[in-house]
Order: sequence, then C-alpha cells, then structure tokens
Amino acid sequence: MDARHSHRTRAHAERLTGGESLEQFEGAVLSGVNEGAHFLGLGWVRDAIRRIAGFDPFPGTLNVRLVDRDALPRWRELRRDAGLSLTPPDTHSCGGRLLPALVEGRIPAVVVIPEVTRYEDEVLEVVAPVRLRTVLGLRDGDRVRLEIATRHVVVGKPIPRVEGSEKVTGQARYAADVRLPDLLWGKVVRSPLPHARILRISAEKARALPGVRAILTADDLPPVLVGRRMLDMPLLARDRVRFVGEPVAAVAAETSDVAEEAVALIEVEYEDLPAVFDPLEALTAEAPILHRDAGAYEGAPKERPHPNVQSIQRHREGDPERGLRQAARVFEHTFRTPRAHQGYLEPRASVVRIDEAGRVQVWTCNKTPFRLKEQLARALELPSERIRINPVPIGGDFGGKGFSTDVPLAYHLARATGRPVKMVMGYTEELMAGCPRHPSIITLRTGVDAEGHIVARTARAIFDGGAYAAFKPRPNVDLHGGHQAGGVYRIPHFEAESVCVYTNSVPSGHARSPGEPQMIFAVESHTDMIAHELGIDPADFRRRNLVGDGERLATGHRLERVKARETLEAALEAGDWRAPRRPHVGRGLAMSHRFAGLGDARARLRLETDGTVRLITAIPDTGTGAHTVFRQIVAEVLEVPPDRVVVSVGDTDAFESDAGVGGSRVTRVAGHAVDRAARAMREALARGDRTLPLQTEARFSVNETGTVTSFCAQVAEVEVDPETGCVKVLRMVTAHDAGRVLNPIGHQGQIEGGLLQGLGLAMMEAMGAEDGRISTLSLGDYKLPVTKDAPPLTTVILEDSVGPGPFQAKAIGEMSISPVAAAIANAIFDACGVRLRDLPLTAEQVFFALQSRGGTR
Amino acid sequence: MHAFDYTAPESLASALAELEEAGDEGKVIAGGTALMILMMQRLVRPTRLISLRRLPGLGRIEVVDGGVRIGALATHRDVETSPLIRSRIPVLAETLSRVATLRIRNVATIGGCLAHADPNQDPPVTLLALDARVRIAGRQGERQVALDEFFVDYYQTALRPGEVVVAVDVAFPAPGNASAFHKFLPRTADDYATVAVAATVTLTPEGVCREARIGLGALGPTPLRARDAEAIVIGERLSDRLLAAASEAAIRVVDPIADPRGSAEYKRQMAGVFVRRALRGAWDRASREAA
Amino acid sequence: MTLRIRLSVNGSAREVLIPSSRRLIDFLRDDLGLTGTKEGCGVGVCGACTVLLDGRMISSCLALAAFADGAEVTTVEGLADDERLHPVQQAFIEYGGAQCGICTPGQVVAAKALLDEVPNPTEGEIREWMLGNLCRCTGYYKIIESIQKAAGHARL
Repeated sequence: MDARHSHRTRAHAERLTGGESLEQFEGAVLSGVNEGAHFLGLGWVRDAIRRIAGFDPFPGTLNVRLVDRDALPRWRELRRDAGLSLTPPDTHSCGGRLLPALVEGRIPAVVVIPEVTRYEDEVLEVVAPVRLRTVLGLRDGDRVRLEIATRHVVVGKPIPRVEGSEKVTGQARYAADVRLPDLLWGKVVRSPLPHARILRISAEKARALPGVRAILTADDLPPVLVGRRMLDMPLLARDRVRFVGEPVAAVAAETSDVAEEAVALIEVEYEDLPAVFDPLEALTAEAPILHRDAGAYEGAPKERPHPNVQSIQRHREGDPERGLRQAARVFEHTFRTPRAHQGYLEPRASVVRIDEAGRVQVWTCNKTPFRLKEQLARALELPSERIRINPVPIGGDFGGKGFSTDVPLAYHLARATGRPVKMVMGYTEELMAGCPRHPSIITLRTGVDAEGHIVARTARAIFDGGAYAAFKPRPNVDLHGGHQAGGVYRIPHFEAESVCVYTNSVPSGHARSPGEPQMIFAVESHTDMIAHELGIDPADFRRRNLVGDGERLATGHRLERVKARETLEAALEAGDWRAPRRPHVGRGLAMSHRFAGLGDARARLRLETDGTVRLITAIPDTGTGAHTVFRQIVAEVLEVPPDRVVVSVGDTDAFESDAGVGGSRVTRVAGHAVDRAARAMREALARGDRTLPLQTEARFSVNETGTVTSFCAQVAEVEVDPETGCVKVLRMVTAHDAGRVLNPIGHQGQIEGGLLQGLGLAMMEAMGAEDGRISTLSLGDYKLPVTKDAPPLTTVILEDSVGPGPFQAKAIGEMSISPVAAAIANAIFDACGVRLRDLPLTAEQVFFALQSRGGTR
Repeated sequence: MHAFDYTAPESLASALAELEEAGDEGKVIAGGTALMILMMQRLVRPTRLISLRRLPGLGRIEVVDGGVRIGALATHRDVETSPLIRSRIPVLAETLSRVATLRIRNVATIGGCLAHADPNQDPPVTLLALDARVRIAGRQGERQVALDEFFVDYYQTALRPGEVVVAVDVAFPAPGNASAFHKFLPRTADDYATVAVAATVTLTPEGVCREARIGLGALGPTPLRARDAEAIVIGERLSDRLLAAASEAAIRVVDPIADPRGSAEYKRQMAGVFVRRALRGAWDRASREAA
Repeated sequence: MTLRIRLSVNGSAREVLIPSSRRLIDFLRDDLGLTGTKEGCGVGVCGACTVLLDGRMISSCLALAAFADGAEVTTVEGLADDERLHPVQQAFIEYGGAQCGICTPGQVVAAKALLDEVPNPTEGEIREWMLGNLCRCTGYYKIIESIQKAAGHARL
C-alpha cells in the first residue's frame, strides 16, 4: 500500500468516525440481484455518497452475508440506528442510510441500507469507488473483512451537562431553596433513647413560645404506618420509640430558630425498655422484640424465623453440603462492615403547601416522585390526584433519597396551620436519623478442589436493618448485595442466606449498590485468602474460577457475552500486576459484576413551533447526567444538534407512573423510553406529519435481567507505614466492561465518584455508636474523602456493543464502588502480611495486627 | 440560634468594660468558628456577644524584644503566611498550615484558638514547644502567663472572668535551635490530629542537646508538655536508644480518650512514635543549623 | 436585638436591619434570596456554604451576618460578569466538574478565590486549596481538571 493511499484511507476513517475506532464484521461474498446498481444509478444517491463519503461510487454493490452469528444482533442494531441519512429529494422515492466503512482495512467504502430491500437483514450491501470483486479478486463464498464506522454523531460524545449552567451559577433551585410566601419552618423532636415507652409529652412551654404555630404528636395523626415496601414505621412514634433519633413530635414556627427553641422545650417522659444493638444478639431467644407482630405489617415477607427478622432470602444451587464434603480443602472466614452514611451534601429537605384548590403541592429531594405520590396518598389518606410532586434537582442521592419521611409531617403541619411548611434536616439529624448503609456480618465457607477450582460455597449475611424496614424498596425487603455471595465465579454448589434484622438502631436503607460493597469486600477478601492458602497467585486463582461465556453464576443465572477475563486482564496490565514492588508496598485485586436495572419509564417529546425539541421526562436530576444522555439520544435519533433538545422534568401530573431513579436503571429503562419517543417522532416526521407542536410519547418496561452483565476489576497499590499502620493508597486501576459509553464525561464521572465513595468505605467511613447513640454526629467526626484522598487513577474502558440499554449501553453508576475495599485490603496483605476482616481498614487495625504478629514480613 | 445582643466595641477598654458588665451572660467572639458551633449546638448560650473584630491593632504580627508578638486577632492564615513567621519561626507557619482547611484558617484567630482551649487543636502544641507566653488583658490591666500554665482542663484556661487574650509572644529561636511539628492524620487531611507532637531542640556545636521542649496534642484534657521526655534528652547526643527512652517517658504522661480518630491505647502508642519522629526531625534540622 | 449593617453583596451596596443572631448564610439565602449558597454540614467542614468576605473564602454557616458589616460579600451569584460566565464556571460545565451541583457553588467560589491568588496553580496547590470543599459525586478528579483548565483559560 503506498503512503498516499494509506493516508487517504485513514482520513476517510477519521472523517467518518471522529478519529475513533471502527467495529469489525466478517462476511462471505454472495451474488446479488443487481438491485443496488439501480439505486446507485440515481443521481441524488450518487451526490449524497459523494458528499458524505467523499468518493464517486462504482455503480454496483458487493453483497456480503455476515458469518459470525453472534454479530447479527449488533448488525441489526446498526441497521436500525446508525449512520447518516440518505434523504430523497421527493416523497415518492425511497431513502436509506449510509454507514462508512473500510474494506480489508484499506479500501474506503460505504454500507448502504436502503429503506426497502429484498435482502434478508444479515446481508450487507457495500459500495466503494472501485469494483471490489475485481480489486480484491473475490469470488462467491470468499471471506471479506469490513470495518464499519458505527460511531454516532451525538451519542458517545462528551456533551456537557444540560443543566450545567444553572448549577455553576447557583440558579438551580433545590428543595431547600424553595421560598413561598407565609412559609413556616418545621422541626422534629427526636427520641434520646434507643428503646422506651412514651409516658407523657408536655408541650405547654413550647406552645407558649411566641412564633410557634403548631405542635403535633402521634395522637394528632391518623394511625398509619409507612414504608417503601414494608409498612412498619409510624410518622411519629406512638407509645414507643425504637431508636435514638426517632421522631416523637413535630413543630411549626415562624422561623427555624423559634422552631428549634420549641423542640428543646417539649418535654417527653419515657420508661426505658431493654434494647438490642447487635444483630446476632437480636436473633437470640432472649432478645428484646422490637415489633410485636412484624409479620402482620403490610408488605412484610412471609418467612419470619425470629420476630426480629425483617426479611430472609435464600439461594440454593446444586448440593452445597456434598460439594463441601467432597472438596479438597474448605475455608471459612467472617467479615464485618460498619454503618455508613450515603454522604450526600444536601440534607433532606421538603416543602409542602396546600393550595387554594386543596391540592397538596410538594417539593422534596425524592428520586422516585411517582412512588412518593402513591406513598403519600396512603399515608395522608388522600386520593393521589390531590397530590402533586414538583420536580427539583436532588443534591446527591447515592441510594438515600428514595423515601421522604418528613413530607407527611410537613403536610400535617401545613394542614394544622393553613400555611406552607418547610422542613430541612440538619446534618446531625442526617447522621442520627437518616437511612445509612446496612452494617453487615458475612460468613463465607468455600470448598476448592485439588486444582484450585471453587466447587462449593455457603454464605450467610446478617444485615443490621435498624428499627424499621421501611427504607428498603425491594419486593423481598432484602438487599441486592445479599445475592452476590458467589461473586464473579463459577460455583456449581451454592447456598446463600441473607437476613435483615431489627435492632434498636437508626433504620438502615439503600446506599449506592445496596449490600454490595459489604458483600464484595467479604467475597473478594475471601478469594485472596484462599489463593494465599493454596499458594496460587490471586490473579491466577481468579482466572481458574471466573465465569465464562455461556456459563452460570453461582446463583444459577446464565450469562452470555461474558467479558470477565478481558476485564481482569486489562486491570492487571494497567496495574503493573507483576512489576517489582518497594518494601511495604503491596498490590491487591478485586472484581465484581452488576446487571443493569429493571423497571418502567415514560417519556414525552414535543417538537415546538420554533424547532425546539422538548423532552419531558419523569426522571429527576440526581446529578448523574441522565438528562444529558437523554438529550444525546433524542439528538441522535432525530438528527438535530443537541442544543435544540430541551430537557424538562415533568411533575407527577405529567405522567401516570414511572419507576424513577435507582438500581442502575435510568439509562437502560428511561433511556429506552426516550429512544422510543424519539423514534416515534422520527417516523411521524417521515410520514410527513408537520403539524406543530408535534408530540410523541413512549413507555418502556423491562422485568427480565437478561443474560448480559457488566464486570469491574480493580487493582489497588498501597504503602503501609509499619510504625503507625497508616495506609496510603498510591494508585488505583479500575477496568470496566462498559458496553457502549453514551457520554464519556458522565460515564467517567460515575466511575470516579463511585470509586472515591468505595475508598471512603474502605478507609474511613464508619458511624460509631454507643448503646444505639451515633457518636459521629457531624462531618467533622464522620469523615468523607477530601481532594487529597483521591489517588492517582487509571481507568480502562472495554467497550463493546452488547449492553441492554439504548445504543448498547450498560450500567455504570453502581459499578466502581464495590470492589475498592477488598482491593485495598488485599493490597495491605500483600504489603505487610496483615489480613483485615473488618471495615474500615484503619491505621489502628493495621498497627495492632502488626504488633500481634511482631513486626512486618 | 438563640437570640442575643451583639456589640462590636472599637477599643479594648470598652470591650473589657462591656464584658465586665455582661458578667456570666457575656462572651467575646472573634473569628467565631468554634463559638458559633457551640451556640448552634446549644452548648453555650450567651445573651450578649461582644465582638473583638473592630479592635484596632489587635491583629498585628510584630517584632518585640527578641521575639514576635502575635496579636490575638491575627488569623491562622495571617500567621501561616506572615513573612516574619515564615523566616524566623518556620515551624509555627508549618503548624498553622496544617489546621483544618483554608476557610477555617482565614477566620479562626490565634487568640480564639488559645481561649477555646480544645486539646485537639494544633497551634497550642507548637506554641508550647516554643515556650510561648500569653498576654491577657482585663480591667485591672495586662498580665502574662506562660502557655503551659494557661491550659487548665478541657476547654478551661487561666483566663479570669472579664479577661481576654490579647497576644501571644514567641521568642526567636536561639542559635543551634530547630523544631519540628508532626500531625498524625490517618483519615483525611482536614481532620483533627489523632496525635500531634511538636519538638524543639537546641544543640551545642558538639551536637549535645542543651535544651528541649515537647508539646503534645490530642493526648489529654489539655495540650501537654512531655517534661520527663525533655529531661531525658537534655545533655545527650542523638541515638535510637535515647529516642526510645524519650518516647516511653512521653507515653507515661499522656491520657488520651477514645474518639473516631483512634482508641486511647492507639493514641498512646502513636504518641511514642511521633515523639520519636518529631525529636529526630528537630534534631536533624538543628544539626544542619549548627553545621 | 436588631442590628443595622451596611455591606456590599455581589457589588451592590445594601443597608439592612437584621436580628443580631442572624447567620450570614441565612441572611443571604432567606433575606436576600441568594439561595445559590448551600448549607451542607452546618459546621464549616463541607464547603457548600463558601462565600468570599472581602475576597477571602469563609464558611457562611459559621459567620454572623454582623461580621459582614462594612465588608464586601461575594456569592456564587456574583461570579458571572453580566452574561459571561467566570472561566471557572465555564470549565466546570465543560469538564464535568459539576454533577448533582449541591457543592458546586462552593466549589466555584473557592476555585475563583484560588485563581485570584494563584493564577496558575499546580495540581498539589489545587488539592490543598480545595481541601475543604467536599464533593460526593465527582471523586474530585474532574473538579481538579476543571480548575486546571480554567487557569489555562484565565492565562490567555
């Protein structure tokens, strides 16, 4: 190939792909019906190809049938989605789409997708400036390699945030920023005791305070119970408090200062009850019972082996007892993780106003507004049409903003006073009475055969659910992480039990990747401990046991298009796994996987008279960049510049229902809804519908996880100070099997943010408690990572085209958080021989472990 | 927050008069970073706040009698960035640069830090090692107190009712003297110290320790001096054995409490490690000075 | 007790009556409606309430409004010049420095103060200066990059 030709070829590819990579396809040549020649004979088609591809097309196509059956779904996607439009000059001609390509890595070409074709959809029609059969000496049945430039024009590009400008200028209005005339401030009286009977509440002094407008106790409210799934929590404690921080009374006053003063003046007399804080103790026969008949609560799971059980989940595959009996060696380890706050910097805030029409107007940081509407309808005993949740951006969610316990209180205060009421939690209240990540105690027992294959595992996870199960949304009232005890491995015999337990502690809730950082810390530490005992390199041990294509996870879930091995290798390579290390420096590895989420979503598009395309979504802005991805999808499908697409969030009147944000669902589910609405509009426009405003609407719903998951592999490199035990994370590598990345800025932001939250959980985040009283009641005591804690980070993205989301996207938001702690724990072991089984991995733990070992290795 | 009266007198005399008049109900406020939190948490509820923020000249950092006088209203950031402090008493600038975050250092004053007497704070540790003296003003006039007599107990000082801190005096280091400050932060860089240690040593030209002082933070109800450890190193040359002995002596005087930054036992152990490190750091610098 | 204070907020002079116990953050948000300044931790740790008082960044949750008497206060609403965003704001949009946005006002105010004092900071200087501005979304990488890019831009 001469230099000029090579240069031209590259220029062709670059022009068409923006300099990015091409997708490979292989096909077998077949004889055509010469239909293409007719199409290519049309003047406007030739002109379009000349304009788009930059060459004069040879008047005939090379027809190629795809060889790799696995590539077929992808090709069908491309046929449907990708490429540049061939728009006919009149409405009675047929148009089509063009996909730029390279043939045999050197000849610039285009794949033509006519709107109407007589071929089956696995046949590609290739057009080049030359007769390809002649130039390449091809005959029927010969293989030919095609690289197709599938890059989208907008999707996959680093488009800045839709809402960026409002956020950097301070114009974005969050719930706490809502200002209304005549606003009152609401505050809550909280229990100082972990378990007690309420004997008497006297509010006379508080009522006498000038500026106090209402004081409510449980007696003033209907006896309803609330919850995301299981309804076990009162709005205000009735007769009995079950955790320190539980709301006992609510106050509305003219200013927040007066409201606080009133709270301090309300006297509550209690009678102490025996309390239980340790979830294992809570499951004993003598333990105090928190809820007399928890099974009677609406939404309560049926199985209840002990009255203090919130939920119990089991998975069983094969015959684990036999598997363990037959194993060459069996290993058992127990791990513990602490209570941890989500750490969003926006404390929960709610504003409620009952308007002139008697409608309840709500502004609150809740990521599932349609669910909230239903929850409120029940809690407030109102028809749901009377309730309207107005959209506000959410100042950080990370799992914690799925339930709004203050809204019903604000409503009752508003009703009692006839004025709107605002309730904003202080951060102390967040830490005392939020809904933190479940503490866990996880025991794993694993049998391996003589060759180092995992043959069986039993797992038991005890999650400390705190005083109420109300914050857990899953139908089984359990945690996703409870299902991950098998990790990314092929384990034929498996049993896992996951139990959420009532204790007299702050109720636990969802936190980014619920239960998973806990479980993956255990699983991946355990994996390294076994490898060490067997004398096998931790990477090799994983290679032997990783789930492969077409194989089943321990839970029995069959997977396809598995990239576990590639993800692992990418992380190892980027992490210099085999490179020599300085003294006191170690490397550790950990892996996880996660499916994209399920649910239903709706989207509405309106083409306005000024040419603006307005997307109305039900998805609140939690900061992930979802709205920007939606904008890209709309722009891509409708072939308009992204800034022509305006994204607005509909209130709860705008749609019937929507699952909202959570469970790595948004891009997959809501993204598809947006994609469908955009396609419907494209079709409407193609039909010649030009009545403006033109509106289309779509719903998307998915209930099946499917066979494609997404893997993450991380390498941590740490240095341990042997005199203090202090651990410094020198660098981290995170490798992701990412499907197609729709927006690299947002995608990377999710990875980086999740990784640093994982690092916080690994190194510092732990809510201390003494007798049920949280002892870390400010962000001065509960430390979140700061700028200097963000280690040098290498990210490896393995893109492919098999994700379940629109444009083959996979989930990313909850991926990078889970393996971090185990990667660091494994690195600490590698550095100094100390194995820590409890999070966080504090200097103190390392120090005393080193002391008891008598120095470093 | 609760309601209170607020005044911002423009002379020290009127501030002291107002403070006396307010009695137990009054509190002085300067930067406010500590007092505001205490008030928001309802731990302190003065009905009268007397702001020192308008007092003229009280924020000066100036040379006086072989040392530097740091006015009580000088902020941590003022001290940290003062060319005078940086060149003549670098360990103090270094210490101040490790306090909390820039936003706090921009506001929190040296006088407020001393009067607040939180044993977890950093500046007292180094100021103890530097043998600083506190200048106190009251209606009866000014008096001076050595810093190690100033701290009495948790959040308690030798300040009498009606008195305020007006300055802290620090002598310039003698020839052959050097200091080091170590703040142990196993969690985040903006945290309070798990332990903090400052050491200052003065060496003879032969490398023998003539004078040594060790300040300890977060290790007891007040910032502490490790006097036994100081006595052990004075008259000696540097050796691992010497440092081990000094750190053991230091461990004996500490009385830390468990908090999210570490258990009492861990802090005790770390006191030993960081006394060793601070002494060695100061010693190395002093020998370079002497050379 | 009511105090009369005179101050300038984002360049406009004001004379107002406030209760003496009013915190600066509440004065800005509730009295002036400048809700760009956010309250996060309420104890001066998180930096969401960062404003400039006579050019120095402070926690407005730990300041009395009375402290601003005779001073100049700059909030996030005062950074843009008419319609033109401050280079820091522009960079935060372009380089992904803002996600949920709740810490962003504090971040951009702190970053502006940094570039005013150190026009071309090293990465280490950025990490040191921004130490007190917590962000839970970004992991800081894109904030640091945004500030570096803004510095490059400001130099031009």
